[in-house]
Amino acid sequence: MATTFADQLRSLPDEALGALIQLRPDLVVPVPADISALAVRAQSRNSVARCLDGLDEFALTILDAARLSRAADTALTSVDAILELAGTAPAEDVRVAIDRLRVRFLLHGPPEALQVVGAVDEVTSPYPAGLGRPADYLDARAAALCADRAKLRRTVLAAPPGARAVLDRLAAGPPVGALNRPALGPESMAEPIRWLVEQHVLVPISEAGRAPRPDGELVELPREVGMLLRRETGPLGVLRPLPPVPGAPSRDPRSADSAGAGQTMEAVRATEAILETLAAEPAPVLRTGGLGVRDLKRLAKVAGTDEAGTALLVETAYAAGLLGETDAGPNQELFLPTGAYDLWRATGIAHRWGALARAWLAMTRQPGLVGRRDERDRPINALAPDAERAGAPQARREALNALAELDTGAAPATDDLLALLSWQAPRRARGREAAHRDAYAGAALLGITGLGALTSYARLLLNDSGPDETDPLGVHPEDAHADAVRALDQLLPAPVDHMLVQADLTVIVPGPPEPDLATELDVLTEQESASVFRVTPASVRRALDIGYQATDLHELFRRRSRTPVPQTLTYLIDDAARRHGGLRSGSAGSYLRSDDEALLAEVLADKRVGTLDLRRIAPTVLVSPRPVTRLLGALREAGYAPVAEDAGGTTVLSRPKVRRAPSRSPRIAEASTPVLTGPRLAGVVEQLRRGDIATRAARRAPVTVRAAHGQAIPGLTAVQQHTQAMAVLQQAVRDKARVWVGYVDSHGATLSRLVRPVSLSAGYLRAEDERGESLHTFALHRITAAVTEE
Amino acid sequence: MSGGPLIVQSDKTLLLEVDHPDAQACRMAIAPFAELERSPEHVHTYRLTPLGLWNSRAAGHDAESVVDSLIKFSRYPVPHALLVDVAETMDRYGRLQLLNDPVHGLVLRGLDKIVLIEVAKSKKLAGMLGTRIDDETIMVHGSERGRLKQALLKLGWPAEDLAGYVDGEAHQIDLREDGWTLRSYQQEAVDGFWAGGSGVVVLPCGAGKTLVGAAAMATAKATTLILVTNTVAGRQWKRELLARTTLTEEEIGEYSGERKEIRPVTIATYQVLTSRRGGAFTHLDLFGARDWGLVVYDEVHLLPAPIFRFTADLQARRRLGLTATLVREDGREGDVFSLIGPKRYDAPWKDIEAQGWIAPAECVEVRVTLTDAERMSYAVTEAEERYRVAATARTKLPVVRALVDKHPQEQVLVIGGFLDQLHELGEFLDAPIVQGSTTNKERERLFDAFRDGSLRTLVLSKVGNFSIDLPEAAVAIQVSGTFGSRQEEAQRLGRVLRPKGDGRQAHFYTVVSRDTIDTEYAAHRQRFLAEQGYAYKIVDADDVLGPPIPQID
Repeated sequence: MATTFADQLRSLPDEALGALIQLRPDLVVPVPADISALAVRAQSRNSVARCLDGLDEFALTILDAARLSRAADTALTSVDAILELAGTAPAEDVRVAIDRLRVRFLLHGPPEALQVVGAVDEVTSPYPAGLGRPADYLDARAAALCADRAKLRRTVLAAPPGARAVLDRLAAGPPVGALNRPALGPESMAEPIRWLVEQHVLVPISEAGRAPRPDGELVELPREVGMLLRRETGPLGVLRPLPPVPGAPSRDPRSADSAGAGQTMEAVRATEAILETLAAEPAPVLRTGGLGVRDLKRLAKVAGTDEAGTALLVETAYAAGLLGETDAGPNQELFLPTGAYDLWRATGIAHRWGALARAWLAMTRQPGLVGRRDERDRPINALAPDAERAGAPQARREALNALAELDTGAAPATDDLLALLSWQAPRRARGREAAHRDAYAGAALLGITGLGALTSYARLLLNDSGPDETDPLGVHPEDAHADAVRALDQLLPAPVDHMLVQADLTVIVPGPPEPDLATELDVLTEQESASVFRVTPASVRRALDIGYQATDLHELFRRRSRTPVPQTLTYLIDDAARRHGGLRSGSAGSYLRSDDEALLAEVLADKRVGTLDLRRIAPTVLVSPRPVTRLLGALREAGYAPVAEDAGGTTVLSRPKVRRAPSRSPRIAEASTPVLTGPRLAGVVEQLRRGDIATRAARRAPVTVRAAHGQAIPGLTAVQQHTQAMAVLQQAVRDKARVWVGYVDSHGATLSRLVRPVSLSAGYLRAEDERGESLHTFALHRITAAVTEE
Repeated sequence: MSGGPLIVQSDKTLLLEVDHPDAQACRMAIAPFAELERSPEHVHTYRLTPLGLWNSRAAGHDAESVVDSLIKFSRYPVPHALLVDVAETMDRYGRLQLLNDPVHGLVLRGLDKIVLIEVAKSKKLAGMLGTRIDDETIMVHGSERGRLKQALLKLGWPAEDLAGYVDGEAHQIDLREDGWTLRSYQQEAVDGFWAGGSGVVVLPCGAGKTLVGAAAMATAKATTLILVTNTVAGRQWKRELLARTTLTEEEIGEYSGERKEIRPVTIATYQVLTSRRGGAFTHLDLFGARDWGLVVYDEVHLLPAPIFRFTADLQARRRLGLTATLVREDGREGDVFSLIGPKRYDAPWKDIEAQGWIAPAECVEVRVTLTDAERMSYAVTEAEERYRVAATARTKLPVVRALVDKHPQEQVLVIGGFLDQLHELGEFLDAPIVQGSTTNKERERLFDAFRDGSLRTLVLSKVGNFSIDLPEAAVAIQVSGTFGSRQEEAQRLGRVLRPKGDGRQAHFYTVVSRDTIDTEYAAHRQRFLAEQGYAYKIVDADDVLGPPIPQID
C-alpha cells in the first residue's frame, strides 16, 4: 500500500479537495479539525452510505465491478480490471463512472492499484452486482466443479427445464433463494433444487448461530456459475450507462400551462371551499390526532374533489398555516381556519396558490397515506401523526426535478418517471416509490403539472432552491417564489369587477371576482357555483341587516352590472326593504301595559317615577330598562296599583362572529443541506489546510510542548510550567530565537506553534510565525509551555 | 386566455355568454354533448352529464373533439381534472356491447375483459346473465335485454345495443310529397335514427317532429304504434299522417279513452295505456296486438313511468323517441337512454334560429295589494287555507277586468284553480265558464264561439291545463293555480299561447296578492319562466288600473 487514505487526501490540490467537499457536503458538517479527521469521516459508514445514496445505477454497478475485481490477496483493483468486467458498456462511460467514484473517494489510490473504501462493503449488499460469493468460499465440491470450466458448462446445459428456470432467476440476482420449507435433508427439496444441489451448482448455506428462518433454508449460486449464466449480458448483468429516457408524449407548453393554471384555480377554489366549510362547521380533532373519515367525506363533497384530493388539500392548508386546532372545551379540540386564512383569502389567486404550493413542497407529510391502513391495520386519517414522513419534501423535490430535467412539455407516464428515478438514485428510490407517486399526484392536483408536464411557473418555483452562484449564502426562496407567482398570474384570468344580472335573479361573475366584489357578493347573494350567484329575499335581507339601504343596493347593482338590472331584481330589493323592519324588537327590563291609555299617559307624565326611564312603544305598552321589582316598587310608592305578570322571553339579534383558531406560522423546513459554493467553500478548504499544517507542525513540536496539551509535565505543576515558559520566552525575545509555544486557542483546543517572539508585554506575547509572514499575538495566560527550538 | 364565450366550471356546468360574438359557434359546438339547463337572457347554463356525453358518443363524437371544443371556447384555463373526467366518462360507453350471436343468441360482449368481469360480479345483474361462453362473452336471456341495459347504465358501463331488431309486420307506407319536401335536417334525423336502429330525435317545438315520425314510418314500411300524450295530440298526428303519407283513414286507428281501434297504424295515448283497473294495467295487450315494426314515442320527456316498464320488453322492436328536450322533471333521463335509445339527432341551433323562433309571450306578474280587511283575514287563516285565501282575494277582480279591457282586440282566457273565484269572475266579467262539470257539448259550443271570435273572453278552470287547442287566444290571465307547479305554468303558457300567424305578441298575466304565499309561489314559477328565457316583469296593480285609483267595492 503506497500511501494512506489521509495522505492521499492531503496531497490533493485545493480544487480536488473542494470538489470532494462539494460532492459530499456532510464531510464538513461540522468542519473537521484536520485532514486526518476528514479521512476518518470520509471512510465512515454513514458518510459512505450517504454518498452511495446519491449515485446513479450505473456508477453503483461500476462500484460493484470494482468490488468484484479486487485481487484476493491485495484487495486492490485497477481501472483495467474494472473495464474488463464492464466490457459490455462503452469504455468511455465506464471511465467516467470510475472517475466519479474516485472524485468521491469511494475508490482511491492510483489507477493501477485502486482500493475500495472499506465501509462500502458494510453498507451495500454482500452480493455485488447480484453475484454470489466465490465457490471456493462456499463449498469445496462446488469449487471443484467451478474449477473445471468444461464440466461446469456441461452440467449447466444438462439442467432440466425446472432447474434451468431456477438458475436463471438466481443468476439475475440476488443469488440467494429460500426453499420455502424447513430443511429436512435433500429429499424435502423440490425436484429442480435437489438436482442442482446434488450437482453442486447450488450450495445450501446455513450460517452457524442463525435462527432457523421461517421460509426455510437458503441456497446460493456461486459467483462463477452466475457469471457463466450471464455470458450473454456480461458478468455485471445488463448495464445502463445512460438514464432510461421516458417515452414521453410531448405537450405544447402553452396548453400544459393553461391546463395547469386551470387546475391551480380549481385547487385554490377547493381549498377555500374546504376551509369555509370548516369555518361554518368545525371538525373535531380525533383523540389519536387528525381529521375523522366522516368529516373528510363531508369536505370532499363540498369541495367536489375525491377524498384523496381533499386529504391533500387539507394537509396542505394545514402546512400553510391556514388551518389550525383550537380548544373547544375540555378534552376537545376543533379544526378551524386560522386568522392567516383571512389574509390568504384577501390575496389574488396566484398568491394563494403560491402559498399552497410552497407549503406542499416543504411539508413533511405524505397525504397519499391517508385512507390507507397502518401496520396495525387501522386507517390513517388526514392530519394524523401517522402520515408524517420526514423524507417527503426530498422525495417531492426528486420527483419534480426528474420531470424538470426532461424537455419542456414532456409528459411521461408516472411509471416511466419512477424508472428514471430508480436509475438516478437506486438506493434512495427504493422504498420511496409511494412517496414519488404521491408527489406526482399532488403536483397534478395543485396544478404544478398540467397535462402531466411541468408547467413553466412551477419550474420557476423549483429553480429557486437550486444553487445560486451569485449568492454564497445560498437560497432566497422568496424571490423565486415571487417569480413563480408572477408567472402564474400572467396565465390566470384577470380579476373581474363586474357582473351580469339576469331576470331569474342569478348573478354571473364571468371570472374570479375582485376582493371588493367578492365581499359584496358574499353579503348580497347565495353562491350557486363558482361563477353563479343568486339573489334571494333572504340574501337581500341579510344585506339590509348589516346596514345596506335599498338605494345602496340598487346603486351597487347598477354600478357592478354590465347588463341592465332586471326589473324583477329591483322589485325584489324594494319589496324586501319595504318589509324590512316591519317588525321591531328590543330588550327591556320590564314592561307596563294597560288597556287604559290615559292611565299609561298619566304614569309617563308622573315625575315621581321618572327614574324608571319609561318609554311608550305602543299606545297600551310602556317599557323600562329597570327590573320588574324596581318598577313595581316605584309605582306602588307613587300610589299606583300595578300587578306583576309572568315575563315573556326577549330575543337579541346580533351578527354571529366568525370563529377562527389562533394563527400559527407555517412550518417550512429547508429541504436539503445547502450546497457550498465559491468563497465559503474556499474558506472551508483553507480552514482544513490550516488545521492540517497545525497538526503536522504540532507533531514536530518538542515533547514538552506536546505533553502540555491536556496535562502537565510530570513533576511540574501547571503554574511552575507557566513560569518556566515565561522565562523561556523572555530569553527568546532577547536572543531572537525560535520557540515552540503551546497554547490553548479560543475554542479550547491546544495547539503548538513554532514562532520567533518579538515582544512580551501587557500580558501578550507578540511573535512572528515561522515563515515570518505575520505577527501573532498570544495571550500569556493561554500559553501552557514554551521550549526553544533545538 | 382565449377570451371565449364559455366559462367552464369545475362542477361541470358551462356558462355561455349569449352576447359574445362567438356565442353561436360555441353553442353549436357544445350542444351535442351538453344539456341546456337554463336559458335566461344573458348567460345560458349547460351541464355536462354522463348521459349527455354518452349520447354524443353514440352520435359519433369522440372525447378528443369534446375536449377540443371546451378548450377552444373557454375563456379561462379549463381545470385539468375536468378534462380527464370527460375523457374517462366518454370512454366508458361501448366497452360492452349487446350482440346477436348466431349460435348463442343474445350475448353481452366486453371489449374490455376486466369491465365484463366487473359487471358480471355485480349483484344488480343477478339473474340477467346466463352462462359464460368465453372470456369476452356472456349469454343474456332475451327477455332481459331492456333491464340489462338499464342496470348496466346504473353501473356506469352503458352497453351499445347492436343486437338488431325484428322487422315486424310489413305495411306499405310512403310519404306523399306533393308540393312539399322533407327539410334537410328532418331527413338527416330520420337517417340518423335508422342507422342507429333505435333512439331519440331532439327537435325544437315547431320543427316538424311529426314529419320525422312519418318519414321514419315510411322508411320502416311496417305496422307502427304511436304513443302520444293526449287525444288532441293523437288527432293532430292523424291529420298530419293523412295529409303527408299514403295512409288512409281506414289504416289509422285511435286507441284512446273513447275509441279502441287497432289498425296497421295505431295511435294510443299514454293515459289509456297507464290506466288501471283493480291495480292491473288493462290495455297492455295493445303492445302484443300486432307484430309492430316500429314504436314511436311522442314527447319522450313526458313519458310516464309505467310505459318504461312496458318498453323494457319491447327491446327487439325499433323505437323512435321524439322530443324537444331530453331533460325530464323526474330525472329519468337514464331510462330514456337505455330503453328507448341514445340521442340520434339533435337539430343544429342554426336551423332553429332559421325557424324565426322568438319568445312567444310577454309574461307579466301583476301584484295587487290586499285591503286591510283581506290582510287581516289572511293573517289569521290556517296554514293549509292560506293559499286559497290569498289567491282568491276579491281585490283581484277589478285588476282582471282592467287587464281584459287593456286588450280590446284580443281573445282573452282567464284561468284559475278555485271555482268560487271563477264564478265571481264570470259574473264580474260577464263571461262564460268552462269547468270540469261543463258538458262536452257545451264546451264544444263555447270553444267554437271563442275560435270564431264571437266570444271574446272565456273563464277556464283546471281543465284549461290540458287538451285545449285554442290558437286564437292571445292573452291569458292566470288568477290562481295549483300552488307553485312549474309544470302547470309551462302547460298553460305553452298550450294556450301558440305563436300567432301574424307574429303578434302574446301576453301572459299572473295576478298575485302582494306579501302573501301567493307571491312566493309566483316567484317560484317566475324563476322557471326566466330560466326558460321568457322575458317577464312585475307591475303594480295600481299601474294597471291607472289613475285615478278606482274605489274597490
